[in-house]
Amino acid sequence: MNTEFGRVVIVGGGTAGWLSAAYLAARHPGLAIILVEAPDIPTVGVGEGSWPTLRQTLATIGIDEAEFLTACDASFKQGTRFDGWKDGSAGDRYYHPFTPPPQGDVGELLAAAGKSDFAHAATPQAAVCDADLAPRQRAMPGYAGALNYGYHLDAGKFARLLRRHAVDRLGVTHQRDVVVAVERRASGDIAALTLRDGGALTGDLFLDCTGMAARLIGEELGTEWVDRSDTSFNDRALAVQVPTASDSPIASQTVATAHEAGWLWDIALPTRRGIGCVYSSRHLSDDRAKDILSSYIADKVPGADAASIAPRLLQFRTGHRAEFWRGNCIAVGLSAGFIEPLEASAIVLIELSVKALADHFPQSRAALPHYAARFNRLFRYRWDRVVEFLKLHYVLSERSGDYWRDQRDPATLPPALKEQLALWRDHPPSAIDLPQVDEMFSAASQQYVLYGMGWPTPACASPTPSDTALAQVRETAERARALAAALPTNRAYFDALNPLREEAVQQ
Amino acid sequence: MSNHQILNTNDHAELRVHTGASADRGDAVMAALAVPEEFRKLQAHYPIVFRRDNKGNVSALALFGFENGENLFLQGENWDAAYRPLSIDIQPFLFGRPASGEGDGQVHVDMDHPRISPNGEGTRVFDATGRATPYLEGIADKLGLLHSAFEASGAFFAALARYELLEPFTLNVPLSDGSKQALVGFHIIDEAKLRSLDGEALGALHAEGHLMAIFMSLASLSHFTDLIARKEAKLARG
Repeated sequence: MNTEFGRVVIVGGGTAGWLSAAYLAARHPGLAIILVEAPDIPTVGVGEGSWPTLRQTLATIGIDEAEFLTACDASFKQGTRFDGWKDGSAGDRYYHPFTPPPQGDVGELLAAAGKSDFAHAATPQAAVCDADLAPRQRAMPGYAGALNYGYHLDAGKFARLLRRHAVDRLGVTHQRDVVVAVERRASGDIAALTLRDGGALTGDLFLDCTGMAARLIGEELGTEWVDRSDTSFNDRALAVQVPTASDSPIASQTVATAHEAGWLWDIALPTRRGIGCVYSSRHLSDDRAKDILSSYIADKVPGADAASIAPRLLQFRTGHRAEFWRGNCIAVGLSAGFIEPLEASAIVLIELSVKALADHFPQSRAALPHYAARFNRLFRYRWDRVVEFLKLHYVLSERSGDYWRDQRDPATLPPALKEQLALWRDHPPSAIDLPQVDEMFSAASQQYVLYGMGWPTPACASPTPSDTALAQVRETAERARALAAALPTNRAYFDALNPLREEAVQQ
Repeated sequence: MSNHQILNTNDHAELRVHTGASADRGDAVMAALAVPEEFRKLQAHYPIVFRRDNKGNVSALALFGFENGENLFLQGENWDAAYRPLSIDIQPFLFGRPASGEGDGQVHVDMDHPRISPNGEGTRVFDATGRATPYLEGIADKLGLLHSAFEASGAFFAALARYELLEPFTLNVPLSDGSKQALVGFHIIDEAKLRSLDGEALGALHAEGHLMAIFMSLASLSHFTDLIARKEAKLARG
């Protein structure tokens, strides 16, 4: 590689910084990569859910799956279950599993599903999630599964594992120091960072992984912020970790439970559950949010002391940058933007950003503005799709109350979503609606949410299900039986990893 | 060492079985019982040979190696062939009869078999409602098939004896490291005898359904080349 960008400086040591450092170093071993991390800045450990993409990312970085699972107290995530989103009645729940429906006509499949809900008819993963089963057996090769899956993980431990791997195995330089000033070139590009202890640190390319502080892309370069709170209302979360009994079942999916002005996340790791209450501060007081959180815990976590929880308040601005790449600076992670925790898009956006950079790593300074323009087009598209897909979860709800009424207000819907909804009355979501090669949310994801929320069978479907679709539904049920027999429970899977954990502790 | 029990939903509701291959699970064997019914599938992977015990009873075997405990198809946790003999596939289950000796066949299980899972890993036999899982349904089918094929094999071996179609077989293979690999005590189909049979004899063998199995076992012997190559590869790995 004869790049004129051989020296990459990453500022910030959270998930975004270390994932970027490790991934870039693995893909481009010739680069000199320096990560500057302030020794005294705590990281925001919220991103506890990943997408299936993380398996490929970790394999590329060169981390063994069992090592990852034990080092990060991780568990398997096979999708999300949405409880109470349609109307809040008993039994109101649906899955958005990671495994797509079988190839074929979705309208026919819906007709054939009959009494079974769409996700259960479309994939055996829904039944596997019902039974808290793992998506793979330990004997399978790493990162392979009987079903598609991602992870739930301890974000703090994840950053530490990535750091160890990036520094020890991939040759990333770790500099514990504080950026006190930024030196610019006449062109406006960043020339160097002035560090409190280390003096000047020069670089060719700078990654801003400083989280919401956005030290480079925002504070220094002043790129414009695009506010999305007109569509996406949630701006606060109360988060808490609840320890669980060592023999408690470990859920295979994030459980997202709707409440009067937002929703609760519930993420099961082998030793604890991360539970949080997401809400709109315009619609709900912090005190009321805490009540909702503690009554959820009292109701859903056996043996937990719900009265004495001390949740952490997280406030976030809903939106993203107008430019994610300006000059020789690229924003990766929360510095680029944040909408809300629903559908866990934070880690995947980090992966997509650094992959886009690594796939076409810039070689010459002359072409740099074009790299930036292309990157900005691509990621503006992706953020728009995130905003629309998240909004889809709310607009189909029939729940009462100001918050949900406001969510359905047509004035708060992005025009593209309005158009999609009109088209989806006629036809199911398909690749025609989502033409990009690497769409954030596939047609399958849109289908699971749409039909999970009770959207009618599209007008294009024939009234009687085809034999093919009926056969697909039977096949799914048979596969569910076979998988229920062959897969261990998550608890059994992670208990079997305990010897490895003890080994890691002894080292 | 075995502990045979009649499989039932009360005692074995939570039973899980490791279905993958591994030396630890009892797969480090040089041969497995084969029935003529499956010769066609076996001959795509293994040499099929015959053995006569000291009482004169003949049985057929699929060969995996040259010495006791050597399975050259076993590579870690992978069995490197698309088809495993039924007699391996059904383990740790057995075909059983009620104590009275009458009635339908039963599924028995050897609870001391190394395939029996000590924890929550492995494949369930009964689901949470006590219904047989697809895995157990498959096992029951295979047990039934193996049992009936085994019952029918007596006629096959009798036909081989009638036409004196078995000849003793000794294999001496010089290996590239200078050692010799010998295989003794087995029988194979006597090809010259087979060729010399007249139309009437062949017609009779065909009518009884034995001719195909005879040809399949003969064809299977070409896999000795593959088996030797596997042995050489193993020696090369050290």
